[in-house]
Amino acid sequence: MATDADEADPGEGSGPLGATTDVGGGDPLAGEPWYRRYLWDHRVHAAVVVLFALYPFAYSGLTEAMPATMTTLLPGITVMVGVLYFGLFAMSFDFVSGYTGYLDFGHAAFYGIGAYFVILVANDKVPLLDPSTPFMFSLVIAGLLAALVALVIGAVSFRLTGVYFAMITLGFAQVIYVLMSNWDYLGDNPRSGIAVNTSMHPEGFEVGVPFVDALNMQIASANFVGETLSTELAGHVIALSAPEVSYFMIGLVVGFCYFAMQRVIHSPFGKVMIAIRENEERAEAIGYDTFKYKMGAFAISAFFAAVGGALFAGYRRSVDPDNSLFFLVAGDALLAAIIGGFGTLAGALFGFLFFEFLGELLANNFVSRGGESVPDGLLPYLRDVLGEGTLSTTLFGDVTVRTVLDVLFNGRAELYIGVLFVLFVLYVPNGILGTLRLWLGGTVAKKLPERIGSRLRGGQADPGPPDD
Amino acid sequence: MSLLRTRGLTKEFGGVTAVDEVDFEIDHGELCALIGPNGAGKTTFFNCLTGSLTPTRGTVEIGGSGSWRDITDAGPDETARAGVHRSYQITNIFSASTVLENVRIAAQAHGRGSLQPWRNVSAFPEHYEEATEILERVGLAGSAERVASTLSHGEKRQLEMAIALAGDPDLLLLDEPAAGVSSESVDDVVDLIEEVSADHAILLVEHNMDLVMDVAERIVVLHQGSVIADDDPAAVRNDERVREAYLGGYGADDPAGGEEVGA
Repeated sequence: MATDADEADPGEGSGPLGATTDVGGGDPLAGEPWYRRYLWDHRVHAAVVVLFALYPFAYSGLTEAMPATMTTLLPGITVMVGVLYFGLFAMSFDFVSGYTGYLDFGHAAFYGIGAYFVILVANDKVPLLDPSTPFMFSLVIAGLLAALVALVIGAVSFRLTGVYFAMITLGFAQVIYVLMSNWDYLGDNPRSGIAVNTSMHPEGFEVGVPFVDALNMQIASANFVGETLSTELAGHVIALSAPEVSYFMIGLVVGFCYFAMQRVIHSPFGKVMIAIRENEERAEAIGYDTFKYKMGAFAISAFFAAVGGALFAGYRRSVDPDNSLFFLVAGDALLAAIIGGFGTLAGALFGFLFFEFLGELLANNFVSRGGESVPDGLLPYLRDVLGEGTLSTTLFGDVTVRTVLDVLFNGRAELYIGVLFVLFVLYVPNGILGTLRLWLGGTVAKKLPERIGSRLRGGQADPGPPDD
Repeated sequence: MSLLRTRGLTKEFGGVTAVDEVDFEIDHGELCALIGPNGAGKTTFFNCLTGSLTPTRGTVEIGGSGSWRDITDAGPDETARAGVHRSYQITNIFSASTVLENVRIAAQAHGRGSLQPWRNVSAFPEHYEEATEILERVGLAGSAERVASTLSHGEKRQLEMAIALAGDPDLLLLDEPAAGVSSESVDDVVDLIEEVSADHAILLVEHNMDLVMDVAERIVVLHQGSVIADDDPAAVRNDERVREAYLGGYGADDPAGGEEVGA
């Protein structure tokens, strides 16, 4: 992965970064093999993938160098795993709601279906499917099942528009939520969720290519369940914990799903989705059976939502109605999509990353690092840095610095996120990625290299082939 | 065999009969105008033709190779794919998309690829070519990359027409193409309609009498949902019932008149 990306990204200053190809326009890579051209067109994507791939190494390096500061600032690997699978769910939400304009408030139903399905298969609760079914198979079947449910829900819901559509999808999701909370067949206490039967599955689920041992790695949040990795590369020992292995394997699936969804968005089908969002009446008048396209988009989005849910449950090895099927789960996806940029796909993941970054920053935890207790969050960090002397300083009356810090930061993460959400809706309505696109005048993948290129050549933007 | 016909087309809203037993026919290459005072049922008739409304009684049929195809119950999308396209009185475009994409997406509706989500949109250059051709035709080629919402009103009217032209319709239904267009730009609209009528049949609803008298080869007059006249412009102008119902003082002996009666 890294070598491919190196080829795609000549790096700043190492070569002329030309304009990407236009439709029918000047093509700097005419005659080059298709994969070179593909990577060249996607060099920004490749760079983002590389950044994500390097994150665990950067994290461990930085936290070792500056334990307190970096642990406070940077989200840990377990949090980043969540960013990946929930980011996929948020992107699938954006896929249907951001691109067709139909707000699916019941999207959590598909996330929950994916999560429940893989665990029920593993616990031998699904007829016809053996508990030893490879995780990747049950993940795909979970997606297909969710797509089927989406077609049933969509057949009724797409008769409505606007707020009525949002309400009816929410209604469907709540029906599924109540059903799954009370169905005894699922487990002993369905209201508090179900967990993987550890005697049947003592090890983590395998993500990769089914039946090919070398191409599979287990995912799990704990070392004693999942797979760890230790290898030597050029004299350095690279050791990966189970969450780190999970981060890479889940990242692979999420990355694959992102590119699949992006492919659909850039297809003629995706253009019809956008036309429906822009003006459904006219889309119909120019000859599109919009109902059919909306159903298709809904099913595709449900598929990927369920894949996100399946990864979530596979990693945590348990699921409960409130963290998967509850309507507020879709609310989190909506928030992430709006903060990241509605109708930008990748924005939803970045929006959620931003969210989690803030949540982590404002947390009040200590983690153990190298046998020492290190603050993880702004409040313990400030207490640590300021010291007892400053903390007990009286400001006025019996109010000390410690009281002020407590009032400001203790358990206030959600308050600040709420305030931030309001500010975003008011002042950054296009979200992070949407605003960046407006500023660049096009998609980031296309315009950013042009910008950097013209900067490097002193304001002149002429297309040129990669210099390698 | 003509291009499209209606037989006893009737649309009732509760007790109100908006379109009343209309028998109408339009032939290939014809440029026909549909006029009538406000509330005469023109737009309802239009909506019955395009499938936005389902008629209470009667039929709409498209003439094909030797047989009539009933499209009475077809939705707007089916009607469009059958070759009947419309433009809107109130500009109805894809505002956040580029001008080119507005027309390209319309061209795509009649071509390949819409149901192939795994192909890139650039794998279908014919949609881009058709859109570019149409933009040249309506005079918007220079604005292809602009976002549609940034166009002026006149340009939006041109784009409205361009979208309707994509997919090479047999019959073009134009709903007040000159609505809100300044008097000096009306000539451009007239030129465009005449140019387009060279290879399309057109049914035109328009309140601007000068424009109608100028371009139409045939005029159908609706009054209270019924057809009261269907003839060439000169004959319609002199028809006693039409003058009574609608035109007021506008007549053959008043060559310069008409502006006041327009809207």
